[in-house]
Amino acid sequence: MDVRAAMEDKGLVRPGMSPKEIVGRVRSLDGVCFTSTGMRDAGQSDYKNRHRLYDLKTLAPYYDRMGLFSAECHGGARWHVGVMNRRESPFEELSILRELMPGVLLQTLIRETNLWGYRPYPKNVIEYVISKVDIDVWRCFSFLNDVRNMRTVAEVVMKRGRLFEPTISFTAADWTTNDYYLSVVRDIVGLCAGTDEIVLCIKDMAGVGDITRIGNLIDAVKQKYPEMVIQYHRHVTDGLAAPALLAAARAGAKIFDVEEDSLVRFYGQPPMLGIQAYFEESGIPVHLDRKEAEAAVQNVRQWISHYEWAESPFKGYDHTVTLHKMPGGAFPSSFEQADKGEFLHLMPAILKVMSLYNRIVKYFDVTPGSQITWVTCSGIINKYAKEKGDAGVRHVTGLLARFIEEKKQDFESMERQEQEELLMLFRNAPGDFKNLLLGNYGKLPVGWPPEWVYKSAFGNEWDERIKERKEQSPLEILKDDNIEKLRADLSESIDREPAEEEFILYLMHPKDALEMIVFRDKYGEAPLVLPTDVWREGLKKPGDTVDFELWGKPYSIELLSIGAEHEGVIHVVMRVNNKTRVYTVETPRAKKVATRMAKGANEVGAPINGNIWRIGNPERGALKVGDIVHKGEEVANLEAMKMENAISAPFDGQIAEVCAKLNDTVQEGQLLFVIEKA
Amino acid sequence: MKKTIKKILVANRGVPAVRIMHTCRDRMIPTTAVYSTPDRLAHHVFMADAAVHIGEAPPIESYLNMDKMIHAAFQSKADAVHPGWGFLAENAEFAQRVMDAGLTWIGPSPDVIRTMGDKIQAKVLAQKANVPTIPGISSVTDIEQIKKWMKDEGVSFPIMIKAAAGGGGRGMVKVEGGGELAQALAQARSEARKAFGDETMLVEKYIENGRHIEVQAVADEYGNVVHLYERECTIQRRNQKIIEEAPSPTLDKDLRQEICSTAVRLLKEIGYTSAGTVEFLFDSSTRKFYFLEVNTRLQVEHGITELITGLDIVGIMLDVAMGRKLPFGQSDIHPNRWALEVRLNAEDPKNFSPSFGTITRLQVPMGPNVRVATGVYEGADIPPYYDSLFMLLMTAGADRADAIRVMDRSLGGNLRVEGIKTLQPLLLSIIRHPGFIAGEFSTRFIEEHMDELISMFKEKNSEDEVLKIARYVAEISALGPQKWM
Repeated sequence: MDVRAAMEDKGLVRPGMSPKEIVGRVRSLDGVCFTSTGMRDAGQSDYKNRHRLYDLKTLAPYYDRMGLFSAECHGGARWHVGVMNRRESPFEELSILRELMPGVLLQTLIRETNLWGYRPYPKNVIEYVISKVDIDVWRCFSFLNDVRNMRTVAEVVMKRGRLFEPTISFTAADWTTNDYYLSVVRDIVGLCAGTDEIVLCIKDMAGVGDITRIGNLIDAVKQKYPEMVIQYHRHVTDGLAAPALLAAARAGAKIFDVEEDSLVRFYGQPPMLGIQAYFEESGIPVHLDRKEAEAAVQNVRQWISHYEWAESPFKGYDHTVTLHKMPGGAFPSSFEQADKGEFLHLMPAILKVMSLYNRIVKYFDVTPGSQITWVTCSGIINKYAKEKGDAGVRHVTGLLARFIEEKKQDFESMERQEQEELLMLFRNAPGDFKNLLLGNYGKLPVGWPPEWVYKSAFGNEWDERIKERKEQSPLEILKDDNIEKLRADLSESIDREPAEEEFILYLMHPKDALEMIVFRDKYGEAPLVLPTDVWREGLKKPGDTVDFELWGKPYSIELLSIGAEHEGVIHVVMRVNNKTRVYTVETPRAKKVATRMAKGANEVGAPINGNIWRIGNPERGALKVGDIVHKGEEVANLEAMKMENAISAPFDGQIAEVCAKLNDTVQEGQLLFVIEKA
Repeated sequence: MKKTIKKILVANRGVPAVRIMHTCRDRMIPTTAVYSTPDRLAHHVFMADAAVHIGEAPPIESYLNMDKMIHAAFQSKADAVHPGWGFLAENAEFAQRVMDAGLTWIGPSPDVIRTMGDKIQAKVLAQKANVPTIPGISSVTDIEQIKKWMKDEGVSFPIMIKAAAGGGGRGMVKVEGGGELAQALAQARSEARKAFGDETMLVEKYIENGRHIEVQAVADEYGNVVHLYERECTIQRRNQKIIEEAPSPTLDKDLRQEICSTAVRLLKEIGYTSAGTVEFLFDSSTRKFYFLEVNTRLQVEHGITELITGLDIVGIMLDVAMGRKLPFGQSDIHPNRWALEVRLNAEDPKNFSPSFGTITRLQVPMGPNVRVATGVYEGADIPPYYDSLFMLLMTAGADRADAIRVMDRSLGGNLRVEGIKTLQPLLLSIIRHPGFIAGEFSTRFIEEHMDELISMFKEKNSEDEVLKIARYVAEISALGPQKWM
């Protein structure tokens, strides 16, 4: 199919097409097409996932006319950060984008058994969640390239008639040979019953494949599976993205991840206009409406300045990424952590340790692997820095370099004292590192690490622990969760029936989902309707106004005054659609009156809100500490709205503490008495 | 005896005080409000022409304090007292002391209040006036007495054995069949002995699926008693009414006639004056009604009777107190609408736990066929010391479905209360429940359907939502960006 003809034919692919039709149309395209990561990976790689739907959705009309293969707008860490920080539900994002760009395939990025969370989920949770999410293209990767782990996602997605995009995690190392990758592709083709209903993605998540390597790998796959449609995903960090993409296209890749040129910084995908020009100059037609793409690039300039605060402090290309392999998506957040933890100056050493560590424990640096690598390596450096200062940092990097580069990891050839030090190296490693060693995520791509690593991680228990190591996929091991029980837990926490979407957020990220639900119950759709400057900084001076639409009606909020802080409270006066309202805002310094609540079996709490008007009972008079009370005896009486409520002793015992005073106003559950059992 | 009233002390607070002051304003009669310390800035205080502080928060020091009430009347030169409902409204001693002080008491005579306040005496009087009471026998000591009574009077199970001295559910056993009788009686007597030291038992027929129906009446000093038809008050929580309507959806014309004339007969028998209500328990299965009690006061739900008859019951109470004759006869009363009332209590709608604090937002329903009686305003405090009722919402229509539709609009679309919890969501769930709409319910409706009613709580509109957004803007404007920003 000629690119021009396809463009005039109202787009190459559309939601609702069968996977087979989508794959067939891309296969027969006389040229290549693009996936825009502008709504997901671009923001994750350079802006810590801070880009809000409020701004991103303004791109949708251009996407709808641009001729994209798909828009990656969902999944990865964007999902979690949406729940945790932006307070946008990924479900809201999908339904809003679906409406604004009905002709575009919506794409997610999903971690096989981890889905959009950080732990392996049992099969029934995976099935439940996948079946509820309205996504057209499911890009699914495993940080171990353990294809067994993809089975459940593949089954549900393909059964739903949506496009499954199995993904190879790519890195450059002595063990990642073409034979290795071809064995992974073979597993994928086996899982998906051929190449007709899938797109294969090669995920070069750090941007580490050199130009020859990428061309060579894609060529090898195409030799073995000529009909395979291949998509190449690559980050720009090493500075060599454009020629690498061209090499991939020449070798037969059909789809490329790009983002708006005006969004490109140092860790995301390459620029769409530049890549299109470069491809076409090289004789490869691109299915992209240049005019719409230029308009999209211009559109970004209107809002991107609101996010300068979110950019990584580590600016510029970094060709050493080919050694430390920190992926684009992890860069800004790692640097943010280093900044907050005040160890930014240790970053070069940490990156150096990462480049050595990944030769000992072999897997792919992409979520959750990249987090395991980051926490393990930054932990080692921080420990040495804390205990022995700069000299310690130099010492440990030197030790590892000598062990790996000089001694070729021959543990026995190290000095006695060095051996002992290596045997303590992973003792404080995070639990997830230990889970990884025990096979809880699946099997490592080229076998388990050597024994000394287990000794180092587990100490004397190492041989016991190694027996626990699993060879099976977590899908086969994990027992089903009780979904209805989990739903009931959530219902109890929020004191109402959760919406289906809320429940799925909770399944992935229980703590953050609960916080988001509370946030949204309190602040409604503020995350969706407020412009980014107001979302971030509010209204600054009297007279400042924010106008927006909510549910099809116009609203306006004008700041009149912000009072001075007094006893932990600030009064903010605003006009909401011309009506004056006063908001009482508690400052973090507000005195929190800690109310003791009844918890234990020997603690008696108030049954309802009310006023304690009697402590004791008419027969005995007031009760005090040390008095003996009998089961059922009235120990206090609480009045609320004219009704008296007797509070009786739950068992025979002695009053150990009276926690309320006469005429106190108490709240439901507040501790009134502690009684010691007789 | 004809009297004039120049100024009325309203011996109450909140909704009833405001209600009475409205009629007083219509009549151009000045009013005095009374207030306790926490009520200093309450709504009723500013409705009145004068206001007198009568004491601290506990009712016994303020709204139940007769000396202070009478003193306040003299201090503000009021010459009449209206007690409203609750507090001193059915207190015969207070009525007597008001009259002894030379003030006009707006309500039934102290004698009538006293007599009807004694439940046993009231029942005896009702029987004398040939008003059906719940069949029962007193001074029961063995099961043969019970069996004989059931046989003689044709009473069938279930029945209720009650301690004569009882209360609070103790010494009270429901009996479903003959086999349980002996054991049930023994249990009730034992409980009663332990609880009250008195094992005197009485036995009554147990009315299942009972409905609460009452008849509003007004009477003058000249022996005229006119009923203003019935109200149905079956929807209750913890034995307190929360939804009332007029007429009753369960009565037919003949039963309505019978129940209303029975009420009039009783009130004539006891020489009733002013406004009053005769309460009945209606047995849906046998379609029989039984006398419960007479409320010798203006009732909370009088407004729906006003809506269907077009009368002002408080106005009639003033006229009667001034010694005037009722200006109408029974044949002049023609109810021609259906009216519904819900009680907005400051309570958690899920468990009825009281809620108090400041009303930070109050939007009162408006539009056709709505009547609101409120005791509060936006910014007002609801103190923890008094009744949780802060607003009555009434709607009317040509028929029941109309009145329900208007109520749905008022509760769901218009009314907004923030700062305290209210029964609003529960009330809305009830009026939308198929059982309520069909008119099929008993006094146990809420307990039987609570989970279902709670599951119906939710409704959002953009007016509420924008205020949440504004709160966010206020907080960020005052406190600066969130931590992660």
